[in-house]
Amino acid sequence: MAADLKNDRRVLYLYGITESRPREIPDLIGVDRFAPLEFIDCDGVVCWISRVSADDFETNLARNMENLDWLAETSVAHQRVIAAIARQTDILPTRFGTVFRTENSLCKHITRRVRGLKKDFGRIKGADEWGVKVFAMQPAISPIGKVRSGKDYLKAKAAMLPNRRPKPATRDEMVKFERALESIATETAPSGNVSRGQRGLSFQTSLLVKRSKRKRLESLLEKFAREWAHDRRIECTGPWPPYSFVSRPDDRVRSK
Amino acid sequence: MSASTNAVVFAGDDPGDEMTLLDILDHVLNQGVILRGNVVISLAGVDLVFLGLDVILTSVETALKHMSSATLRAAK
Repeated sequence: MAADLKNDRRVLYLYGITESRPREIPDLIGVDRFAPLEFIDCDGVVCWISRVSADDFETNLARNMENLDWLAETSVAHQRVIAAIARQTDILPTRFGTVFRTENSLCKHITRRVRGLKKDFGRIKGADEWGVKVFAMQPAISPIGKVRSGKDYLKAKAAMLPNRRPKPATRDEMVKFERALESIATETAPSGNVSRGQRGLSFQTSLLVKRSKRKRLESLLEKFAREWAHDRRIECTGPWPPYSFVSRPDDRVRSK
Repeated sequence: MSASTNAVVFAGDDPGDEMTLLDILDHVLNQGVILRGNVVISLAGVDLVFLGLDVILTSVETALKHMSSATLRAAK
């Protein structure tokens, strides 16, 4: 990612918006691994930006996103910057790849949206996003005995295949699990555009959870994981900045 | 919640924790505040990217460790 400042026009890459400046300003490098993180005060909120190459992030963004190495490095850097700010103060993270040509155009857009943004700050105050996934575990495969016929072979082969259709009891348990999560979360949202093809994945969701309820979430997940120790595995990632709960206008988020 | 227990796998609390690339992309891509108007970039191509990612991503997860350590070095 060349950073030829003389020939390359710079644009403002926006990471997110906070209500105020944190006591400690994070000393970080931005998504291009070159320009430092900066902030701009705008209509009573603080916009977190870095100045990036217009070639990389404006003209060629769509093409770059099809380059998996670029996408991986840049999305990891995007997450690191937002997570560092989120450790200090509540942040509304902006969608990956949002850039503005000038500070003036950034501020104009913020001013137009500032009332909605203030409402969103209220919704996410003191809360983090958590990702929860449930995986079906493969049963232990018993060694195949002597195969004397084609029928024996097919029977043995069938025994090795995972049971794809969940049992009714399993479905009930999953409903119980989902309701228990909803009782702790302020909001839930579907997740997994990218990882939905993971092997054995049978359930996934994103939760917005107040920090005061974090222990309850941990206990709940551990309780279900103990009950399911033999046939299902629970994975929990977080705390994430509230990526999945600020995507307006959007009707995917289910609010209580 | 950085530690894992026998019962449930937790990841992500500690800045040193390695979230998987899949998880990062799940949360980062196509999520977040949408500011429209004369914003220069839109992510109209994202759905096309996703079609490919479903298939490809599992094979590149191992690249994450290398990439994130490179990012950390650059940030220092």
